[in-house]
Amino acid sequence: MLQKISFIIFSFIICSNSLVAQMMNQDTLSGKSEDVFITATRSERKFSNLAVSAIVVNKKSIQQTGSLKLQNILQEQTGISIVNSNLATSLAGYPNPFGQGVQMLGLDPAYTAILLDGEPLVGRNAGILKLGRIATGNIQQIEIVKGPSSSLYGSEAMAGVINIITAKPTAQNIDVQLHAATNNTFAQTVSYANRFIKTGVQFFINRYSTGGYDLDKNIYGKTVDPYRDWTMHAKITHDFSAKTQLLLSLRNVDSKQTNDYQITWQFQPAIVKGFTEEKDRSIFAQLRYNRSANSRIYFRTFFNNYSNKSFVNLENQDVRFDETSFNQTILKPEIQFEHSHNSNSKYVAGVGAYFETIDASRYAGKQSVNTIYAFTQNEWNFYQDKLTFITGIRLDKRTDFDLNVSPRIAAAFKPNRFWKITASAGWGFKAPDFRHMYLSFYNAQIGYSLIGCNVLANELQNMQQQGALQAGANINPFLVSKTLMPEKSFGTHIGTKYSKGKINIEAGIFRNDINNLIDVYLLPFKKTNNSNIYSYQNINRIFTQGADVDVKYQLFNSIAISAGYQYLEAKDKDILSQIESGKMYKRDPITYQSSVVKKADYFGINNRSKHTINTKILWTNEAKGWNAFVRFVYRGKFGFTDVNGNNIADDQRELVHGFWMTNIAASKNINQKISLQVGVENLMDYTNAAQLPNISGRIFFVNLNFSFNHFNH
Amino acid sequence: MKRFILFSLVGIVALASCTKDSATPVTIISGTKTISVPFSSATAFTLFRFSDSTVVANTDSASNKWDFGLRFTTFIVNSYAGGPGSAGAILNNGTFDATPTAPTTGYAYDTTATQRAIKDGSWYDYNGATRTFAPKAGKVFLFKTADGAHYAKMELLSVDYAPFVGMYPTTLLYKFRYAYQANGTTTF
Repeated sequence: MLQKISFIIFSFIICSNSLVAQMMNQDTLSGKSEDVFITATRSERKFSNLAVSAIVVNKKSIQQTGSLKLQNILQEQTGISIVNSNLATSLAGYPNPFGQGVQMLGLDPAYTAILLDGEPLVGRNAGILKLGRIATGNIQQIEIVKGPSSSLYGSEAMAGVINIITAKPTAQNIDVQLHAATNNTFAQTVSYANRFIKTGVQFFINRYSTGGYDLDKNIYGKTVDPYRDWTMHAKITHDFSAKTQLLLSLRNVDSKQTNDYQITWQFQPAIVKGFTEEKDRSIFAQLRYNRSANSRIYFRTFFNNYSNKSFVNLENQDVRFDETSFNQTILKPEIQFEHSHNSNSKYVAGVGAYFETIDASRYAGKQSVNTIYAFTQNEWNFYQDKLTFITGIRLDKRTDFDLNVSPRIAAAFKPNRFWKITASAGWGFKAPDFRHMYLSFYNAQIGYSLIGCNVLANELQNMQQQGALQAGANINPFLVSKTLMPEKSFGTHIGTKYSKGKINIEAGIFRNDINNLIDVYLLPFKKTNNSNIYSYQNINRIFTQGADVDVKYQLFNSIAISAGYQYLEAKDKDILSQIESGKMYKRDPITYQSSVVKKADYFGINNRSKHTINTKILWTNEAKGWNAFVRFVYRGKFGFTDVNGNNIADDQRELVHGFWMTNIAASKNINQKISLQVGVENLMDYTNAAQLPNISGRIFFVNLNFSFNHFNH
Repeated sequence: MKRFILFSLVGIVALASCTKDSATPVTIISGTKTISVPFSSATAFTLFRFSDSTVVANTDSASNKWDFGLRFTTFIVNSYAGGPGSAGAILNNGTFDATPTAPTTGYAYDTTATQRAIKDGSWYDYNGATRTFAPKAGKVFLFKTADGAHYAKMELLSVDYAPFVGMYPTTLLYKFRYAYQANGTTTF
């Protein structure tokens, strides 16, 4: 398959090259103001010069969607899907705080590093980072790098990086936005920026509240309970001298959600109610020192505390039914050095450390891990930037496992102004997280225990002493401490880009091989109450491969269209070899008899769609202040569950059907200061209560924007 | 010459089938059976005998009259900790139809109360969301019977809850197909 695709692309390149030769005289890129991209190299680069596969979403596009939810903006990008976590589906019906995450290159949400202004967002629960914690109002641009980026960002950047860049304090302006939408959703945003001679300030405050929604009236409680979020962000810059600048950034997110659901209490159905409170606070300080015109040093310190407290009480009784808490703190000092040499060579290097502590009710006590890291990258530009070559390497040493080395090489070739060809290869890794190591969780509702690898021996001994294990359970093999290894990947990407006048085409192929994937396994004995015990081990080997194409075309002056498509295959290598050797079986839906699974029947890893499509049409009338933005997003069928006794997706009944989402927004500038925007998200009102409870049904919204940025000095 | 060989081959085949027919009448007992098993780890086991596909009363547990027993998701076989017999079991990967013979050796026994011939949890997947026990596809149980002289193969087809009133089910229905070779050989 991959060979076929590469052949098509290759022939396409060759054919089109001759075309290009005829169009050589026209200029396309020069003269246009260009996006600056930071994430790919950890220092500012022109977007067109990048040697890796990347997407940039700017403030204007975000505003044109009218969406206040980051996930809506991300899912409209080629190659990105918003998926539910596996745990969310296994809890089936029980509320869970984990929600949805980003899938890139067919990898789970835990494998994409999500950064805010280059610094990590902490508080991942089961690998999922709640995207709702990021308000879209003060985003300057979203930078997305596809492909292993561990060479710069370390663990978690195996599938790629999403870096959310917030606005910088520049000219004086005040923006106010009022938002109202279906489901009693309201949001108010105020942002203020000003620049005094040497000091810039930027304040942002947002309140978002929603009544939630209910997709299944037959089940007690709402699918998503009501919640409200406060986001506050302040940024101050101060130029001590022409050479020295300080940046101070303070951020506070405060979220509160109602819990209200049905449980079984003393053999009877009962209602429990309570709240989940989340607090995410961070301080970031950066001192930039320009040693010379082509050399600078950054001193950075980042501190973040994330806490999540949740409880439910039995209704009408003063009985605490369940209570959980999760508190994570990270301190991250870092020094980064940049040097450019004759504009032919750019060098970036850094050293830093992570001090991470976690204290959670479901974990065995307070735990901490420390990591020190160093990275270095050099970029060479030859022949007036026609050829770019990048090599980079990062070393991570975490206290509890061996030194991890993540190299990357990348190259870009621009034969002329219209074409760019890129190739990159990199190693990625993901360190086992706290959950894999220290979780000590018993689910009374479903009846299982899940114990982290590092505390397994201890917990089993305790259980046995307390008589909680089945008589005669042989725990000896599990007393030998087995530490988990980091998950490792190797990924390659080859891409080509053609842009000329009104058209911009990008195409790429990718392949990722991942070893040592951590997964749960069942212990060979049970607890005395017959419940299963699970722990984690490095077992799986998988691959993902595919191709994507993205086309942008300025149809008329007023109409721009774009379309993106991704083809994806994501399969488990061990399952494939079992199928190939005729050792994978399935059960007939009618006779229940077992038979051998054929290779063609294996759909791949759950939650991965082979086909995803996005199409956008933007109509603008600058003179009259109108614009309208219509987007269609298709997510093809994907594996979801098992019905035939083999735990793999190999039967049509195990798949979720493909579906389209249509989002529309239209805005009108009433005058220079006021604009009005109306829109519909999920116009066709697609819902799937059982399989995709994160999709809320049709949402109408209105945004009223006031912008006072014209009283300049 | 060629014709002659062909002719004699036919003769040999005819002769062979003839001998087989006269020596062993139909000795394979096979079929599909559903048995009720308590949904509890505290009550008595449901005991089963292959030779006449019968559920044996639990009062006969201390006899050779049964081959395997079930309670909740726990299998026992009639040997050592399980009972006075010589029953053993092997859990193989494969399909029922592609298992034409049983081995004569390699059987696991109920050595101790915690070391059973068939490990609990080895043959099903529990789905916490629907709270169902789904027998894994492609698992064939091979049994040596309580008398230690006969062989049977068995495939679990489904495990369902019997209809129940109230909050919790009381009975699991185990449906399986099996083949028992009454003549003491290992072919089914």
